Amino acid sequence: MLLNVENLHVHYGRIAALRGISLNVAEGEIVCIVGPNGAGKSTTLLSISSVLSPTEGEISFDGKSIIGTPPEQVATLGISQVPEGRHIFTSLTVDENLQVGAATRNDKDRVRQDYERVLDMFPILAERRRQSAGKLSGGEQQMLAIARSLMTNPRFLTIDEPSLGLAPRIVDQVYEVLVDLRKSRGLTLLLVEQSSERALKAADRLYVLRSGEIQLEGKTADLQDGKAVHEAYFGFTHQHDEDEVEF
Amino acid sequence: MAFTLQVIIDALSLGSFYAVAALGIGLLFGVLKLINFAHGDFITIGAYALIVPSAAAQATLYIGDFHPLMLIPSIIGIVVVIALISEFTVFRPLRNASPATLMIGSFALGFILQNLVIMIYGGRPKAVGLWSDLNLGIQLAEGVQVPQLQLIIIGTTLALMLLLVLFLTRTKYGIYMRAAAEDFRMARMLGIKANRVIMLAVAISGMLAAAVSMLFVTQTGILDFRMGIPLMLFAFIATVIGGMGSLVGAVVGGFAVGAVSILLQTFLPSELRVFRDVFVFAIVIVILLARPQGLLVSRAAKERV
Amino acid sequence: MEPKTPLGHLLRDYWPMLSMCAVLLIIVAVIQIPGDRIVNQSLTEALIRMVVVVGLFLFIGNSGIISFGHIGFMMIGAYATAWQTMDPIQKDIFIPGLPEYLLTHSHHWVVATILGGVLAAIVAFISGLALMRLSGIAASIGTFALFMSFYSLYLQWSTWTAGQSSLVGIPVTTTPWVAFCFAIVAIVAAFLYARSRFGLALRSSREDEVAAKAAGVSVTSQRLIAFTISAFIVGMAGGLYGHFLGLLTVDTFYLPMTFITLAMLVVGGMQSLSGAVVGVVVMSFLIEFLRRWEAGFELAGMTWDLPASSAEVGIGIAMLLILIFRPKGLTKNNEIYWPWKPKSAATNITERQS
Repeated sequence: MLLNVENLHVHYGRIAALRGISLNVAEGEIVCIVGPNGAGKSTTLLSISSVLSPTEGEISFDGKSIIGTPPEQVATLGISQVPEGRHIFTSLTVDENLQVGAATRNDKDRVRQDYERVLDMFPILAERRRQSAGKLSGGEQQMLAIARSLMTNPRFLTIDEPSLGLAPRIVDQVYEVLVDLRKSRGLTLLLVEQSSERALKAADRLYVLRSGEIQLEGKTADLQDGKAVHEAYFGFTHQHDEDEVEF
Repeated sequence: MAFTLQVIIDALSLGSFYAVAALGIGLLFGVLKLINFAHGDFITIGAYALIVPSAAAQATLYIGDFHPLMLIPSIIGIVVVIALISEFTVFRPLRNASPATLMIGSFALGFILQNLVIMIYGGRPKAVGLWSDLNLGIQLAEGVQVPQLQLIIIGTTLALMLLLVLFLTRTKYGIYMRAAAEDFRMARMLGIKANRVIMLAVAISGMLAAAVSMLFVTQTGILDFRMGIPLMLFAFIATVIGGMGSLVGAVVGGFAVGAVSILLQTFLPSELRVFRDVFVFAIVIVILLARPQGLLVSRAAKERV
Repeated sequence: MEPKTPLGHLLRDYWPMLSMCAVLLIIVAVIQIPGDRIVNQSLTEALIRMVVVVGLFLFIGNSGIISFGHIGFMMIGAYATAWQTMDPIQKDIFIPGLPEYLLTHSHHWVVATILGGVLAAIVAFISGLALMRLSGIAASIGTFALFMSFYSLYLQWSTWTAGQSSLVGIPVTTTPWVAFCFAIVAIVAAFLYARSRFGLALRSSREDEVAAKAAGVSVTSQRLIAFTISAFIVGMAGGLYGHFLGLLTVDTFYLPMTFITLAMLVVGGMQSLSGAVVGVVVMSFLIEFLRRWEAGFELAGMTWDLPASSAEVGIGIAMLLILIFRPKGLTKNNEIYWPWKPKSAATNITERQS
């Protein structure tokens, strides 16, 4: 397994956001975590990037524990994240954003190649290379965020809600690129989505997360009718109070 | 006409001090969310570093007697070292504290530095002559006589700003620094080494403080352990006016404060002239109330503050 | 042990205030009895600072906004008090710009001190109408700008304040016991305020401004109330200070005073009254210790002394150490609580306050 998460607990103050989740991702896999608002999806990704420190549990990447490693070092291991809200640098140009993505790399020629590749992948970014990133539309910003993450030359990419706030046509485009990335580069992907529909199409495996606990896991091929996912997502009895915890 | 030119040059040269000091404060606020009250004391230390450490009433130049090519790097080096020590001992341990705690921390640091200066050099003001012949006037136009120094101050400021702009837009680390200033967490997630960027920002801030030290001492010829405080206060106001964290804003704010001070000085009736600073601070309050984010503010800064 | 009588309940509810006053009384009594003049002066100064710091706490602790402006209120109170108590002949010489009434009339120092506090409170109220709309760092900057305006004003307004020279001839009336009484008044006021619904509302805004607004708390007016009361207390402390020194200079009320009082509050714990009191006591002993060491003492046939300004450096370092290693202060922002409580109840309270 490339990524192994074991019994992960994360707290915000005294409020538990994750209560002992375990998950894993194999090399070359596309895995998706779905769950309602406040389930702990973003918390999971931020813990994997070491931005949040778990209160308990273990995260290992490529067999080595990354608990306590500062986020900038986790990035050099080959873990990259497109966080919720994209967080592109709006005061920088598109080009500069991409350059920041390549900050840790010394292989100049490969950086050049990767740069040309992401611009091929997202032609609209090539057109706007010298523009301020703040002027891009939502979809373009999402593309830039993904492109910037790719510039780190990751082995493992996590994306928090790639479809949030985007028009369906753009979402299709983004997913196409993601699936293509695995094919062309052998990239391993961990996606987070609020709706399971798209995830069921693109991912190999699925985890349903609710109230900080994994409710269901399985191969997407086995879950296509959606009923089990639906039940795990909403719970057998409606528990609104739990679902409303928002971080 | 001659009078107008004189006022403009006065405003620009005063504004230059504030702008350079404000850049030093703004840079750290951008990256660290730190309002560095100790910046004024960095300036003070840069000035005192010119003389032999002693409590004697008479100042003896030491570094101040070096050739400028040695003198300038030495002073910059000393202030940068002090700034980096501050980063290691104070700012870094407080990195995850709230902005208010950081602000109090830098207040404490400034207080300590100030009293260390008193401890080493004594509390009495001392006269020093650094490059005093620069204060000689030159004829700019018919009836316009200005000290050369004012022109040098304005020129140095423009040069420093140009260098800073080139650094921030043309170099790798400059771009990283801008990225870190906008979104520190994201920059780290992309592998930018937080400590390195912050140390660099602290060092540049120290360099800017050292520049102010040397220019200011040349102009006033006096060392006083409190000399940095008014500069820091007005520079701080400049960053507030310009919008905390915006470097362009810091520069504009610095020149604005300089201009307002000189204009009040020139045009207020003489019995009110002594109250110039009261008006300047009152204007700050009005600006804060009208635009708490500053007059010029980027979208990014708005989201953060 | 739960108290069983109504008096017992009262005792328990007011325990932090009562125990602090009692401890303070003992400290003052013990230090004061030998009657050493220099010791008494340090004691009086510490007690005046206690009034200032408790006043600072009333605003900062409950609102969560760091104010850099309160020493300005102290200055306003100090001068306003002096205007009322100085010998008219002296006033004619040093501050002839005063209005006719003040030039020719004098008030008893107690009345004068209270009126000095009132003037500070009025200034705080008027400026607060505008400033208290701000939050967080902007509010801190605002109080700072306010402080600098008044400082610059008083420095230049020589017909009222003697400007950059000293205003002398203020009767010396502040004894250790006078300062003690005002310190007790300040502690009681701060305690009762914190318990009142105003204090509760303001603290709720400190924890979560949006939620407090949503719950119907007018954050601006709650802040304004605390700002005004605390300015009143700090203003009276200014009056005491003038009548302790016997003279006033505007420079007394500048950044060092701001720093030392803020440091005391931070060291003790900004968000509890006990923190304010503990901070003043601990820091005053530290300052006194370092000052004596600066003056030098004999040990084993040698004179040991620290260089000048060591006390200030010591205060700064103490404050930094607290900020770094114990950011909630010596008291961890807890109040002194009723010592005979069943264990579970005690832990509950700690949890709620942490």
